[in-house]
This record gives sequence, structure tokens and C-alpha cells, in this order.
Amino acid sequence: MQEFSEASDAQLVTSIGRYSEVALAEVYRRHGGAVYGLARRVLNNATEAEDATQEVFLRLWNQPDRFDPTRGSLRSFLLAQSHARAVDAIRSLNSRRVRESNDAVKTARAEYDMQHEVGDLAVTHHVARALGELPEEERRAIELAYFEGHTYVEVAKILNQPEGTVKSRIRNGMQRMRSVLVEAGIRGVE
Amino acid sequence: MMTHDEASELLAVLALDALEDGERTEIEAHVAQCPRCQRELDALREVASALGDSVEVLPEGLWTSISSRIHEDQNGDAPRTPELLIGGLSESTRSLQARRALSSRKVRSVVASFSALAAAAIIVLAFSLASANGHVSRLNSALSKSANDAVLAALANPKHTLVDLKSPSQVELAQFVLLPDGRGYLVKSNMPSLASGETYQLWGVINGRPISIGLMGRSPGLVTFTVSGNPSPSELDVTVEPSGGSSIPSSPVIASGAV
Repeated sequence: MQEFSEASDAQLVTSIGRYSEVALAEVYRRHGGAVYGLARRVLNNATEAEDATQEVFLRLWNQPDRFDPTRGSLRSFLLAQSHARAVDAIRSLNSRRVRESNDAVKTARAEYDMQHEVGDLAVTHHVARALGELPEEERRAIELAYFEGHTYVEVAKILNQPEGTVKSRIRNGMQRMRSVLVEAGIRGVE
Repeated sequence: MMTHDEASELLAVLALDALEDGERTEIEAHVAQCPRCQRELDALREVASALGDSVEVLPEGLWTSISSRIHEDQNGDAPRTPELLIGGLSESTRSLQARRALSSRKVRSVVASFSALAAAAIIVLAFSLASANGHVSRLNSALSKSANDAVLAALANPKHTLVDLKSPSQVELAQFVLLPDGRGYLVKSNMPSLASGETYQLWGVINGRPISIGLMGRSPGLVTFTVSGNPSPSELDVTVEPSGGSSIPSSPVIASGAV
């Protein structure tokens, strides 16, 4: 057999480019849980999250060259794809009603979620620290945008703040988080 | 055209996918020709990924749906034609077409019913079934060990476990070797070739429930898989299923062996 379990992510993507479904299965084994986890978190719906996860891996199969290892990790690439698919879905009219019915619950528990459900990898500690150091208004703007799929214009309405203020809060919050992660030696965020 | 300063201010919002559609198109056009913004965006996307990186147990059957979609696409407009398939030995195009007959939507409906049944089982099962294929043999050395080498290496591992799968009438039909890290390989098989449109499917029995490990094709040859999670299977079973596979056994177990 091919020892795909020992291959790097970049090697796996190369193999996917050569039509290896086994390599795709290994990428799924390594990163599928994270891809599905993020989609489910944003969509708050298991079936839609499965659809988003399928789309991410089918796209990797059909267009492996879209991943450029010089621009970041495969996991980050797949998570970005998952988030984009989830946001597309949640902004569709069909999802809107479901989402609105979920918003009340999600809003109430958002802080708890952010503190307790972020990943289980080595970076968890640093992400938690970075989040903890954010001013509340920056953290809330990032939560609404990233985990609930709102545009910054929608976030501004929800928070009853000017759009420019929300843009600044997101920018400043992301840069603060980045600084903490850079200090912690997390790769790729420099 | 958006200026560099205007684009720079919006990169963090773009990294969170929180721009309005029109703005997104404009900023992406700028980023495509601005290496500085591209680097900045890449770094911010890594930050966003770190934020969103929480792993969930994958739903049973999701991989089967993805695999089915890949094979379905071969019938349509998809530009790629995979030569290496989940399954045992390389399967013919005719077999592939038979597999496509089971649509991913149909798989999902079966999966959905099984997911509820399996919800209590906190396990992650991942599998990879390898095929001997000259295409892959050209890959670099890390990827090119043959299945036979892997089987021999597994048998040489002092901690290996052999699992004999026998028919209800006690005829030995297959033997697997399992390693402590969850990897498993088919050592030998006396299972006859199936008709087109059918496949052998391997199951791990966990807490009394059969969980799909993967498809072995019509004529199992070189098969490898990985089963990780806790608890591990107490038994391996084989059934004959429609060529796209099933999320729960749809026919009687033809071979079974305690681990």
C-alpha cells in the first residue's frame, strides 16, 4: 500500500492531482472533522454541514491546483473553503429562517462557545488567550461575522453601531489575535 | 478600482467572509494583483482558521457520499477521471458505472436513518482502501510502498493480530492482520468474484453495532484500512452490498471473525 498516513499534506494534494482517491481519503481523515466542525458551527445544521463538507472535498478533488502550499496550510485552506460554503448557504433565503430561529440561542451562548469549544490542537491555548485579550466589542463583532455568517453591514445593524466602527473593530481584533499568535510561534500568521 | 489603502482596511473583514458581495469582488480583484495584500490576507486567513478549528466527529457515511459523488461525476461533465478507486483491485469502467447507480442522495437518506442509530457511539472510523495501480507507483518514495510490503511488514510486527473471517458454515473466507495503531490489511481471501453491481463491504462491530469500514470491491485483493477510535471493533464482518455500498448491512453477513 501507499503509506499515505506518513505523507505530508502537500504530497497528498499532489497525489490527488494524480487521481488518487486514497490520498483524498487520507486528507478527509486528517481534516474532515475540522471542515465539518466549522461548517456545523456556522450553519447549526448537521445536514447542511454535511453538504458543505462534501462540496469542499469534491472541489479539492476537481481542482487540487487551487491549493498553493506557499500561501498557507492545507487545513487553513480547507477551513476557509468550508467557511465560505457555509456562509453562502446561510445567506441563502432557504437557510435564513432556520438561522433566525437559531440566532437567539446562539447569541445567548456565544461567549461560552468561544471560550470552550475552540479546537483541540496545540494552538487552542493561544487562541483562547488571544480571544481573552480582545476588548468585548471587538470579540463580539468577530463572533457575529465569523461564526454566525453575518456581513459587517449586518453586524453593524445588530450592534447598532456605524459600519465604519464595525470594520475597525474587526480589523483591530484580528490584528490583536494575530499578534498573540505570532508571539506564541504559531506558523503561518506572521 | 479599489485603492491599496481601501483594500488594506477590508482584508480582515474579507478573511472572515463578511464583506458585501460587491465589495468582495472589488477587493479580490485588487488582491489578485497586489502581493502585499495577498500575504496579509493569507496571514489573516490563518488567524481565522485558528479561530474556527474545532474538530467534530464525522458523520457515519459522509465519506461514502463523497466517494459516490466522485464516481457519479465521471458520468457527467467533470473534467477528471480518477484511475484509482476505493475498493480492492482496480475496477473496470463498467463496474464504476454500476456504482454510480446509487446516487449520493440515496446514500444520504440511508445514512440519515443510521446516524440516529449510531449517535451514541463516540467513535471516529476512518478508512482507506488501497489499490495496486501503476499510476501511483510513480509517486515519490514516501507514497510508493507496495501493499504486499505493508502486509508483510504488518505480519512481521510482533504485536499484530490475525483475524480469520469464516462463513456461517465455518469455511474460512478471509484473513486480516491488524496492528495496534488501527491499521489493517487483507492477508488472503477466498471470497469469489461478485457480479457487476455488487461489492464486498467490510464492517467493524462496535458496541454491538456494525460500522462501515469500507468497500472491498467485487474481487478483494489488496485492501488496507485504518480504524481509529475507542472502543475498537470486537468483530469484523463482510456483507455483499450494491456497488455504491450501504450505510447499514442490507444482506446477511457472509463472513465474520472475532478480533
